[in-house]
Amino acid sequence: MNHTAPTYSADFATAAASRLSRAGFLCGVVGLAVAIGLGLAEGDHMRHFWLSYLIAFAFVLTLGVGGLFFVLIQHITGAKWSVTVRRQAEFAIGTIPFLAFLALPLLVPLFSHEGVEEFGGLLWSWVHPHGDHAALITSKVPFLNVNFFVGRFVGYFLIWSLMARYFKNASIEQDKTGEHELTVRMRTRSALCLIVLALTYSFAAFDLLMSTDPAWFSTIFGVYLFGASFLAIHCFLVLSTLYYQRQGHLKKMVTIEHYHDLGKLMLAFTIFWAYIAFSQYMLYWYGNIPEETAWYLIRITSPWTNWSWIEPIGHFFIPFLGILSRHIKRKPPLLGFWAFYILVVHYIDLYWLVAPNLYPDTVPFNGVEVFALIGVVGLFLWKYGQQAKQHSLLAHRDPLISDCLAFQNY
Amino acid sequence: MAITGRLTMTNQTSIHGILAEFDSVDGILHAAEKVKQEGYRKWDCHTPFPVHGLDGAMGIRQTRLPWLVLVMGFAGCSGGILLQWWTNAHDYVFRISGKPDWSLPANIPVAFEMTILFAALTAFFSMWILNGFPRWYSPLFRAKCFTRATDDRFVLAIDARDDLFGEETRKLLESLSPNTIEMIEAPIEDGKIPLRLKGMLGIALTLLLLPPAMIANARFTKSTQPRVHIVPNMDTQVTHRGQEASDFFADGQAMRLPISGTYAQEDDRLIGEQVGFWTGKENGAYLSSIPMDVTPEFEDRGRARFGIYCSACHAVNGSGQGTVHLRAQELLSKTWVGPTDLRTDAIKQQAPGQLFESISNGIRNMPSYSSQIPAADRWAIVQYLKESL
Repeated sequence: MNHTAPTYSADFATAAASRLSRAGFLCGVVGLAVAIGLGLAEGDHMRHFWLSYLIAFAFVLTLGVGGLFFVLIQHITGAKWSVTVRRQAEFAIGTIPFLAFLALPLLVPLFSHEGVEEFGGLLWSWVHPHGDHAALITSKVPFLNVNFFVGRFVGYFLIWSLMARYFKNASIEQDKTGEHELTVRMRTRSALCLIVLALTYSFAAFDLLMSTDPAWFSTIFGVYLFGASFLAIHCFLVLSTLYYQRQGHLKKMVTIEHYHDLGKLMLAFTIFWAYIAFSQYMLYWYGNIPEETAWYLIRITSPWTNWSWIEPIGHFFIPFLGILSRHIKRKPPLLGFWAFYILVVHYIDLYWLVAPNLYPDTVPFNGVEVFALIGVVGLFLWKYGQQAKQHSLLAHRDPLISDCLAFQNY
Repeated sequence: MAITGRLTMTNQTSIHGILAEFDSVDGILHAAEKVKQEGYRKWDCHTPFPVHGLDGAMGIRQTRLPWLVLVMGFAGCSGGILLQWWTNAHDYVFRISGKPDWSLPANIPVAFEMTILFAALTAFFSMWILNGFPRWYSPLFRAKCFTRATDDRFVLAIDARDDLFGEETRKLLESLSPNTIEMIEAPIEDGKIPLRLKGMLGIALTLLLLPPAMIANARFTKSTQPRVHIVPNMDTQVTHRGQEASDFFADGQAMRLPISGTYAQEDDRLIGEQVGFWTGKENGAYLSSIPMDVTPEFEDRGRARFGIYCSACHAVNGSGQGTVHLRAQELLSKTWVGPTDLRTDAIKQQAPGQLFESISNGIRNMPSYSSQIPAADRWAIVQYLKESL
């Protein structure tokens, strides 16, 4: 059959994106200011604040890099269903250079001499090995030393920023030219990029989060964080799309079918996350080797026991049963509730991965964490909104867009 | 518009249904809407590719398959857990290196696999059943216009068993301006399985019954022949149990002792003097006391080692009624010699050195434990036997 493809128009959400951007900036400044104030009041060399900042930073990093995984996977699979929501993920990856800027404050706890004698480093105790595991940690110094650590992060962010820049710009260029060749080129390049991204993200997970307990190791840790990130970006896309639709955009371009697909992937990666998390737990449980189980021991003993129960129940069983039914996936406000819920437990998961390493005897969670999260997520939304201000919300000249809109779930 | 097919029913055939052929998606969608509005229930559309909106136009309800899958998934999950609980923690308790009898982490992989297995098989076979499979043949295949339903035509078929089926049906279809309308006659014997196929199925089923019949026969008869080894594993390798005789070695024993001059690396106590620590004997006489410092930790260790190594046969309370014994009684009650009751005076009066020797070298059908339990731990068990049991 020979017919002319229907044409779609660009969807500029300048006003809505500006509102989001302004609100984000306000939250960012106020949230971080309050968190710093509360942190200073605790008089612990700001250790608690830096922990909160690290987790909040990791949270937005999972959205930014999760977005990069999302975009690459759509390209490599030639996905049609996601064309109308992909641009929002492209805005999310556009924030990656800014995330590098958000990582800069973490140099303070890395280089600070405060608390070094007491903790061996405010966040990363390998900065100054001490205590029972000093000899073990010293043997890891060729990898875990401040200079190489900073160098690696420069490398990670450089690679991610370049990838993000290419995939975002190529897609936006297609808005102007409508060139099919761009889609083919992005698909070809996504293969190598995915391999590089998987490796760099895995190592970034080891460095940023796992090394807060330098005596412990888990080779699956990077996959764990990937699963969590990929889950988080789908939740974020649901909420972002709901926001723009409330503001009168993307009305006919994102349908129930797209929500349904996002919901299916949310369900799939809720299961994938649980699969990876349990694989790690069960192997350590079976092996029962002290150097491995120590990590879980602090988490299953008081006062972290209750937090640990949130993981299987709150992060798997409840959302699993919550979004299992297709009727829920096809009701956008309900799906939005579950997306928000999963992002909350995703934060709790990240917190659970790190905080017990630094505070084995207390649960330090209080307003500092809440305001630091509001602050950092606010700044992320500020940049996210700025991206959306300049470009169309819709990759309207993507050659696959007709297929995307024709698709139906049965 | 051409109309083919006979309208009259003959004695040999009955009407199976009526077909209308359309050459466009819009045509069949419109027709489906109309047929639905008229209230027909037994009818279907056959298209060469999935047509968007056809389900809605036909008023097809959402399938109930997900509920079946959900229920069977839960059934598989709980069945998997129940199976493991019954086999590992109830019927025959596994006690492995001090781990709890019943622990959920170990059971989750099986429960997970069973959930998926049950859910997937239910989805697959329920889909068959709900779609009326297996079905080898449909009378629709005989219709001339139906051949293009997999190519470039859209066919709507109304079954003659529908309550509303009659002359009205043809008029309804004609009003929808199809390419063709075709009546399908079904032979009276339609749908029956041919006799030859029935015979073959019968033979196949009978043959399938043979293996279970043979198993049932073997289960309830006695034979002096060795059992049939379908999977030999390592059942028939040449091995000897503890304390058995053997023609192979000059001393007639199957169990081997360490060659002379061997000493354990676990401790440097055996450099000449403390032979009793390793053998339980000094100058040919059993030691009358434990050659170690008896501390609370030492006693605790004895209790723990007893729980790990001894309790499987001798039972936690030393009565000799351990799990292995109970199971062995069920399986071979006549030939089985039970473990000793360690609480009796005969045991209590033995010198510590003699008990140590029994653990180290084995006694009657109890094998040697010297390779598994370090000497210091064996003494800790002796202490536990003497003082706490």
